[in-house]
Amino acid sequence: MKKKALVSLLMTATLAFSMLTGCGNSADSSESASTDKATEEKSDGGEKADGEIKEFTAFFATPGTEINDDNEIQQIIAEKTGAKVKETWLTGQTDKEAVGTLIASGEYPDFIEGGSGTPQLIDAGALVPLDDYLDSYPNIKALFTEEEWNKIRQEDGKIYFIPQFSTIKGEEKVCTHNDEAFWIQTRVLKWAGYPKVETMDEYFQLIEDYNEANPTMEDGTTNIPYTILCEDWRYFCLENAPQFLDGYPNDGSVIVDPDTLKVIDYNTTPTAKRYFGKLNEEYHKGIVDPESFTQTYDEYIAKLSTGRVLGMIDQWWDFAYNVNDSLKQQGLDLQGCNYVPLPITIEKGMKNQWHNSGGVLNVSSGLAVTTSCDDVEGALQFVNDLLDQDIHNLRFWGVEGVDYEVLDNGEFYRREDQRMTAADTAYKAAHLCTYSYFPQYNGTSDDGINANKPDGQANEFYDGLNSEVQECFEAYGAQTYVDMIGTSEAPGSWYPMWSYSNTLTTNTAGGTAWIKMGEIKHEYLPKVVMADNFDAAWTEYMDVYAGCNPQDFLDEMQTELDRRMEEAAKFN
Amino acid sequence: MKTGKRNKKKSSLADRIFVICNTIFMILFVVITLYPVLNTLAISFNDGTDALRGGIYLWPRKWTLKNYTTVLQKDNLITGTIVSVARTVIGTVLALVSNAILAFIVSRKRFLFKKELSLFWVITMYVNGGMIPIFLLYKNLGLTNNFWVYVIPGMLNAFNMLVIRTYMSGIPDSLEESAQLDGAGYTTIFIKIISPLCKPVYATVALFVAVGQWNSWFDAMLYNRMSDNLTTLQYELMKLLSSVTNQSGSIESMKNAAGTVTPTSVRAAATILTMLPIICLYPFLQKYFVTGMTLGGVKE
Amino acid sequence: MSFIKKAKTNTIEEPVKKISWKEVKRQKVLLIWSAVIVVYGLIFCYFPLAGWLMAFQNYKPKDGLLHSTFIGLAKFQQLFSDVTFLKVLRNTLAMGVINLVSTFVMAILFAILLNEIKSKGGKKTVQTISYLPHFLSWIIVTGILHDALSASGIVNELLIKFHILEQPLNFFAHPQYFWAIVAFANVWKETGWNAIIYLAAITAIDPSLYEAAAIDGAGRWAKIKYVTMPGIKPTIMILLLMNVGNVLNAGFEIQYLLGNGLVQSVSQTIDIYVLKWGISQGDYSIGTAAGIFKSLVSIILIVIANQIAKHNGEERLF
Repeated sequence: MKKKALVSLLMTATLAFSMLTGCGNSADSSESASTDKATEEKSDGGEKADGEIKEFTAFFATPGTEINDDNEIQQIIAEKTGAKVKETWLTGQTDKEAVGTLIASGEYPDFIEGGSGTPQLIDAGALVPLDDYLDSYPNIKALFTEEEWNKIRQEDGKIYFIPQFSTIKGEEKVCTHNDEAFWIQTRVLKWAGYPKVETMDEYFQLIEDYNEANPTMEDGTTNIPYTILCEDWRYFCLENAPQFLDGYPNDGSVIVDPDTLKVIDYNTTPTAKRYFGKLNEEYHKGIVDPESFTQTYDEYIAKLSTGRVLGMIDQWWDFAYNVNDSLKQQGLDLQGCNYVPLPITIEKGMKNQWHNSGGVLNVSSGLAVTTSCDDVEGALQFVNDLLDQDIHNLRFWGVEGVDYEVLDNGEFYRREDQRMTAADTAYKAAHLCTYSYFPQYNGTSDDGINANKPDGQANEFYDGLNSEVQECFEAYGAQTYVDMIGTSEAPGSWYPMWSYSNTLTTNTAGGTAWIKMGEIKHEYLPKVVMADNFDAAWTEYMDVYAGCNPQDFLDEMQTELDRRMEEAAKFN
Repeated sequence: MKTGKRNKKKSSLADRIFVICNTIFMILFVVITLYPVLNTLAISFNDGTDALRGGIYLWPRKWTLKNYTTVLQKDNLITGTIVSVARTVIGTVLALVSNAILAFIVSRKRFLFKKELSLFWVITMYVNGGMIPIFLLYKNLGLTNNFWVYVIPGMLNAFNMLVIRTYMSGIPDSLEESAQLDGAGYTTIFIKIISPLCKPVYATVALFVAVGQWNSWFDAMLYNRMSDNLTTLQYELMKLLSSVTNQSGSIESMKNAAGTVTPTSVRAAATILTMLPIICLYPFLQKYFVTGMTLGGVKE
Repeated sequence: MSFIKKAKTNTIEEPVKKISWKEVKRQKVLLIWSAVIVVYGLIFCYFPLAGWLMAFQNYKPKDGLLHSTFIGLAKFQQLFSDVTFLKVLRNTLAMGVINLVSTFVMAILFAILLNEIKSKGGKKTVQTISYLPHFLSWIIVTGILHDALSASGIVNELLIKFHILEQPLNFFAHPQYFWAIVAFANVWKETGWNAIIYLAAITAIDPSLYEAAAIDGAGRWAKIKYVTMPGIKPTIMILLLMNVGNVLNAGFEIQYLLGNGLVQSVSQTIDIYVLKWGISQGDYSIGTAAGIFKSLVSIILIVIANQIAKHNGEERLF
């Protein structure tokens, strides 16, 4: 670090000097800069002398955290595997823009995750087909079954990228429900004596009753019974509940009927009308927060952090990491302000699929090696090494005795202070190195005892819970968040359909319809909820909605669904 | 100015009312303007998750330096600062000199292509080839992974040129003519006669360019992403912010965000840190705007 | 020597100007420097305009400009046949004009009033404070604005206290307030900064003019009206002309950050439209088409405004 600063100081000085000696020199200095780079590159990718560490570069088209150049665990991993990767992340551009400029320049980093720009990268011939290499790298090969690898194949029949987050090794270990649900504060459930809440009507009834009996929090702040986040893409908190209410999993853009294998539009179902009708009713009762449709994400998080909000629909990752810390700091967790999920459906006795077991294979993007990489074998060897159990533990657990301890029975655990440092930004940058966009496992470690990542470790999980949540879990006979809503088998081979709708563009009629539908829903769903005359507003909304030609979209989704089922049939 | 004489008594009363109203207006203005800055300052010293509860106005509720340490612990910050200072200094000097020369040329009444050259630059304010063609151009010119990409492409700018030109055209021609009679060439006129009179406008443009240079980060990302030693302070801060802002909403980046700093609080600290140098620089330049009244003496 | 040739051909086109060898020789320095500057401009500003070809192509990054397929005016047709685009165009124009007028008037007013402050320290302090908001990013400014205008925010509190409102008003849920809020935010953030140019221009005014006016018995208003305003008029005219060309650049961030579903019919600007339908779809062509359209409108506006200025004998751009 210090050396670097010195080098750059010298460099700036040289530049300033060359500037003083006249403009004619500018060509020289640019030349010297590029020769600098060339020598650097040589030393990076060059021949593998003993003990020399290969350095690769990687770009991920998603915002992320850079780690320090002298990161400790990165160094340990480098010594063990003989390689390290300098990671850069998306800043201030969309993924497609970033990928577009890379393609235009024709220079790529060694590794890339293109996000939604992945098809462009493949189109441009920027990615190395991995098919011929896979057999030499058992860890990579073992990430997926033959059927799964097949799903990742592109139209030309080749595999260009490795999905990073889809592999569950051994027994699945999940404690939190990371996805969408109707959430409710434990204090509401406690007040009502932990009743069974199964339907949307019961859920709102409970919130209404509680709010009538306890209009304020302990410190006198008024409660906000129910709020809805609908800023930009986060409007799923308002929009997609009808699919879950009807007992379907999160296909995202459509419902798939598992018996007939037909796509269904969840925006127009009777359940959708009932759900928005209910929200309209609650809005006029004053249960739905009047600021719902104008609040920003920051304001929403701030609201939840005060503990005033009794319930909402959201995905766990969208609120919990920010809100839970804040609640804890203020002691509000002990007032029952933590959120637990409820198994809500539209009618009683329906099977809900808010939670599904099994990984979700994202077939639209993943880690790829580019044609600019001089050492494809070395790069893949590094990916393969990262999947070795001891390296994997280093990535996600850290260094034994420093970041975690081991019990006599071999179980990993973290002390409270270790848990604290693991969350510290500066410590993370200097010490931890998860290579978070490289392939990784969930589920159970090779030792059969530990979870591959700390958040799947049952004891770790319980230690983090407060007494109010534990009491609530006990009352429902649950041990984890997942137990609160139950779990379902992974849906059929088509799942999830959103991995296709995410790739739609305005090049097709269906893609155009899909974007227009989104526009219309953004504007009309809030209007429908706030309308004085719900039925009239709903009819108007349905008219405008039909004007976007949703059928074009549904047809394309059906085609994709059929294709996926056909592909899957080859393996049965 | 007949009216003036007739209203002499009245105007001194009006004068007093004016002063009072003006003072009130300025105080209101200052209060409204200062608030967001002070609010940002307060948040930058407040614990991040605590700030989520809201209710922080002018004073932090839960003091911490964590936001600043988070920002300051960022790798490459020293390199970034050096490069930022270098580009600001070099960029401002070059831009000022080149814009002044251009403005000087097009403000000469006798210049043959006065109109054409002005139009040539005015158009550039409104047309733009787009990101990718510009990128390819710079790449072919060898400006990628090169310090000079910060300075050269944006050096001449129609806006700054016009601001200087307007000022120069207010300087009486008689000065130029008498100098020419004394045998001075255009170079001498520019350096010895016009430029000393243009200090206020030079200060203005220098400020605009310096602030622009200091704040820009997009060029560092686009053209010098692969060169760590050419990173700028603002780019490093942007990287930090986008890593805590987790726009992607991906689970991974959310986990990274957990802790006692939040995007809002880190953003506040970064804002204050980048404002500081400019605040320090300003009084030096301000001298030229405010004391202009007493300079006097040279205009028609 | 090319500039001399150029000068000669120009003689025919513009007989008004007397271009003689003598004059060219006299202006040698000026001509050499202009040649350098023109070469620079051609390389950095005009050469990339080749990128405009994208608008007439189905541009794909891998094919580049040279090998993408040409589709004529299809992208422009796509723009103008879309009802949303027309709405977006209306929003952009409306907000562009409102912002232009309000920020302009405020900056001039502020500069003049500040100049009337006699206390030097006061003047310096106020000015230093005034430009600080310029350095706050939109995300911070909109955050504060959101707070202030929320149901429990200071604005609603005051309005209720003075019995102007019965119930708190959710300003961001009503399309009719949106443009005004955007204009206010712009004024708030940029007034002090924009005033810097006028303050510099005021310093160029000869103090003896004020003295002469004072001897004539002019009060403050008279001095402002007859000395200050005429003194900064060239600056005002130039900036006005320049900004007239910018009305279609009504902004992106602020509307994006302050907008929501309920007001999207008035909040979306061309830039947001391009982001939504172009960039995030990987469709560079439509973004370029919108950019060309904006450039053309700007240049037409500028030329018209410039002619008007010329007609009235005011300062002009070219």
